[in-house]
Amino acid sequence: MQKVSKMAGQKTISGDLVFRIVNGALLGLVALIVLYPLYFVIIASISSPEAVLAGKVVLYPVDINFDGFQKILERADIWRGYLNTIIYTALTVILSLLVTVPAGWALSRKTLPGKKFWMIFFIIPMFFGGGLIPFYNVMSSLKLVNTMWAVILPSILSVWNLFMTKTFFETSIPDGLIEAAKIDGAGQFRVFTSVVLPLSKAIMAVMALYYAVGQWNSYFNAMIFLQDETLYPLQLVLKEILIASESTVGGSGETILEQFRLANQLKYVSVIVSSLPVLCLYPFVQKYFAQGVMIGSLKE
Amino acid sequence: MKQKQKAAVPAAPPGALLSLGSKQWKHFKENYPFLIMLLPAVAVVFLFNYLPIYGVLIAFQDFMPGDKIFSDTTIWVGFHNFTRFFTDVQFWPLMKNTFLLCILGFVIGFPLPIIISLMLNALAGERTKKFLQTIFTAPHFISLVVLVGMLQLFFGRYGLVNNVFANIGGERFSYFLESSAFRPLYILSSNWQDFGWSAIIYIAALANVDPGQHEAAILDGASRFQRVLHIDIPAIMPMISVMLIMSIGGLMGVGYEKALLMQTDGNLPVSELIATYVYKKGLTGVPDQAYATAIGLFNSIINVVLLIIANTTSKKFSENSLW
Amino acid sequence: MATLSLKNIQKIYPHSGGQKKPKKKTGEPEKKSNLQITDQGVIAVQSFNLEIADKEFIVLVGPSGCGKSTTLRMVAGLEEISAGELYIDGNLVNDVEPKNRDIAMVFQSYALYPHMTVYENMAFPLKLHKMPKDEIDRRVKEAAAILDITQYLDRKPKALSGGQRQRVAIGRAIVREPKVLLMDEPLSNLDAKLRNQMRAEIIKLRQKINTTFIYVTHDQTEAMTLGDRIVIMKDGFIQQIGTPQEVFDHPANLFVAGFIGMPQMNFFSAKLLAEDGRYAVSVGGCKVALSEEKQKNLAAHKAASQEITLGVRPSHMVLSKQAGNTLTATVEVSELMGSEVHFHANADGKDIVVIVPTMDANGQRIDSFHHGDALNLTFSGNVCHVFGQDGRNLEF
Repeated sequence: MQKVSKMAGQKTISGDLVFRIVNGALLGLVALIVLYPLYFVIIASISSPEAVLAGKVVLYPVDINFDGFQKILERADIWRGYLNTIIYTALTVILSLLVTVPAGWALSRKTLPGKKFWMIFFIIPMFFGGGLIPFYNVMSSLKLVNTMWAVILPSILSVWNLFMTKTFFETSIPDGLIEAAKIDGAGQFRVFTSVVLPLSKAIMAVMALYYAVGQWNSYFNAMIFLQDETLYPLQLVLKEILIASESTVGGSGETILEQFRLANQLKYVSVIVSSLPVLCLYPFVQKYFAQGVMIGSLKE
Repeated sequence: MKQKQKAAVPAAPPGALLSLGSKQWKHFKENYPFLIMLLPAVAVVFLFNYLPIYGVLIAFQDFMPGDKIFSDTTIWVGFHNFTRFFTDVQFWPLMKNTFLLCILGFVIGFPLPIIISLMLNALAGERTKKFLQTIFTAPHFISLVVLVGMLQLFFGRYGLVNNVFANIGGERFSYFLESSAFRPLYILSSNWQDFGWSAIIYIAALANVDPGQHEAAILDGASRFQRVLHIDIPAIMPMISVMLIMSIGGLMGVGYEKALLMQTDGNLPVSELIATYVYKKGLTGVPDQAYATAIGLFNSIINVVLLIIANTTSKKFSENSLW
Repeated sequence: MATLSLKNIQKIYPHSGGQKKPKKKTGEPEKKSNLQITDQGVIAVQSFNLEIADKEFIVLVGPSGCGKSTTLRMVAGLEEISAGELYIDGNLVNDVEPKNRDIAMVFQSYALYPHMTVYENMAFPLKLHKMPKDEIDRRVKEAAAILDITQYLDRKPKALSGGQRQRVAIGRAIVREPKVLLMDEPLSNLDAKLRNQMRAEIIKLRQKINTTFIYVTHDQTEAMTLGDRIVIMKDGFIQQIGTPQEVFDHPANLFVAGFIGMPQMNFFSAKLLAEDGRYAVSVGGCKVALSEEKQKNLAAHKAASQEITLGVRPSHMVLSKQAGNTLTATVEVSELMGSEVHFHANADGKDIVVIVPTMDANGQRIDSFHHGDALNLTFSGNVCHVFGQDGRNLEF
């Protein structure tokens, strides 16, 4: 009896070892697949365009130079786009917090008058929408087309984020605290400002990050609503630079190659310049993002 | 009767007299601040979600941009725009492109984060786990424009892959102009970007598994792999069902913004989706808004139907459902 | 500071839609309480009548789900009163918001504001009542001194121990100098030692501040030691109201008899005998005549001979040297507690507990008994409690 169990133990240990090694190796491989494209963009941005085009840049930079970075400094459109994006993102975050947090609190209260109605009111848009064209027409009749508000206002409330905030309040603010405040003499507004808000820094951070990243990375609304190039956010400028439709580059020959060489390095550099703020910030705020996902996953 | 009793109390304080009205009124008086807090959100949702829903009425009209939705001159055409779409030569290709892209994307994109989370969870070191998770999640924060730009830098005619091939004497191949390459590029890049992000939810669920369960299983002689099968997977099963319902519901809402960026004349036969077609018909060239709205509405309705089917099925066979 | 008057207070929780129905269908054995259920909903509290005198310390006690906390929360204004009237100092306050009732409350969870320091926590209610700054400062410091938490005023609740948090919670309530101070199981989150200590502190506190207390607990020891009067509740009904001595000596029914007193009162199936106008009880071959007082009470209610449940407290059972007109019990477990021994025994088919001193007054050791030994027990006629078939004390 004892022998058998001992042998079984040994077998699982060696089996576990194989499992561990295979598992670790596979995960390492996945990490490489994730990282390599990012790494390549960096080394290509500081290598000579000729070397990149010749396929010599694969593992390390060749003929290191920073011409691309110099060139991008001269691109007024990128920096204007940058500034626009910063403005749009900042306004989106401020307005979205002003809208989402009080609404989330109200929705989390059982005594909200007409709570069932409001829940349904907010749930319907999660699953059904009018679609692109009616949306465009609404924006146009609100006279928002070709203004920065066309990019900002539709983004200041995501129903998902609203429900996430609601769930946070339901699970993280003890009822006793609210009752204590009521007995201490606070009205509903006072409860919200003096007790709830100071305790909801975590959810506000998560929401701010969600809304900020969403706005920073979006291009579609800007593309359909903005005609004035001075209003273009960064992503729209990047789209012009990065996604030159290949089909227009007909024919063949040296001219295309030359054209490509010039543009090539700028592309790598602009990828870096535009993604850097978010990617640098990300490791520090990662836990908040993860928190948000978790809050969102709690079932009501 | 209660009212009588109250009236009989000789020195009823003024507060009591005031509140002789209905209990609902008192309840409302206490809680109306919540309505004020809710108001901005209601306004935003009304403007940007409900007004467009009202706007779908133009799908049933002969509508020209600038027309009012209701006016004396409105011409109602019933389901004309829908039948036009069903008989459009593009109808079947669009349906096929949309469905195929979604289903292929789902087949790969749904299990991948689950597998990755199980693998990460089976990893020994807590720090390595965190570190890898950070790496895996990073691509989620790259914008679509940059992602598609990077795809071109890698798979374009003069991108890395072609450069390396050319270097060793191969023929340059324009992945972006070829129909056959669109779906793989689309799906693989989507997964590259989002598998880590989608895994977070499973990783967190796995982290909540009672370590005692694993210890008991070890004493019972279970191998690490057996523990994955018998402890880890059951632990995230409810989460998997919920995610499954959600992704089936969102099946047709596939990222058309990305498809739009990836479209070239060459790959259009497979890259044109219902949603991108709506955009082109409704907002570019000579807009046919009523037609485009009808197509969009058709798409949303399929989505809702899918969601309801998924939820009902899940409810029937397991305890998990969205509502 | 205030008198309270609760008149026929009732609380009904309306049925919450379809949520409860499926549970019933599956027939889950989840029957926590025997609350009455009507078409309107579950009745959590009913026919609650109580007059509370100024500066009285009232304890509401009962098992969980008996409605004691609900009653307290109705007094606080946190729950709506479904029916009946609540007066504070003669004013009907049913529809008055909590903040205007001039009450303060200490919560079981303490409910301290985590983002405020101890000082800010205590100053918050005063600030909300627009009190001048120096008055706030004076009151907070005074309360802190009473509760001995002056050195923690700058700390956040997180940095305090459970007992300290409890003091802050009490402090926040007393700075208001409220008409009524409500306490909802304030000690139940503390460990046993701290609980005893805080209990003493609350008694001291009571001497220092002049206010009316309503205190909710499930712990009968707390109820006995703290209350001027105790209100014992079960299933939404008041079972008995009285001073600790009254409810201990004269429990109104079986429930109160079993609930008050540790260890629990022993119950026997017995007979009440009414012979020639004299009452006696007979249990397992032992017949005891009742005391004069009980004779009078029973006679006043014209009690007849009947089957009864006889209650005798463990410490009122006496060991007798010889058998004969005694109750025989078989020892199952004996626990030596130092100055006394607890015998867990079986008598007449019932599990009972008997407490006897280890030594009698003359220093004579009582022989130890072991598993299986027989005990001969007697009890006197004035420690018997006689309960009828419906569980009511026949003396009432």
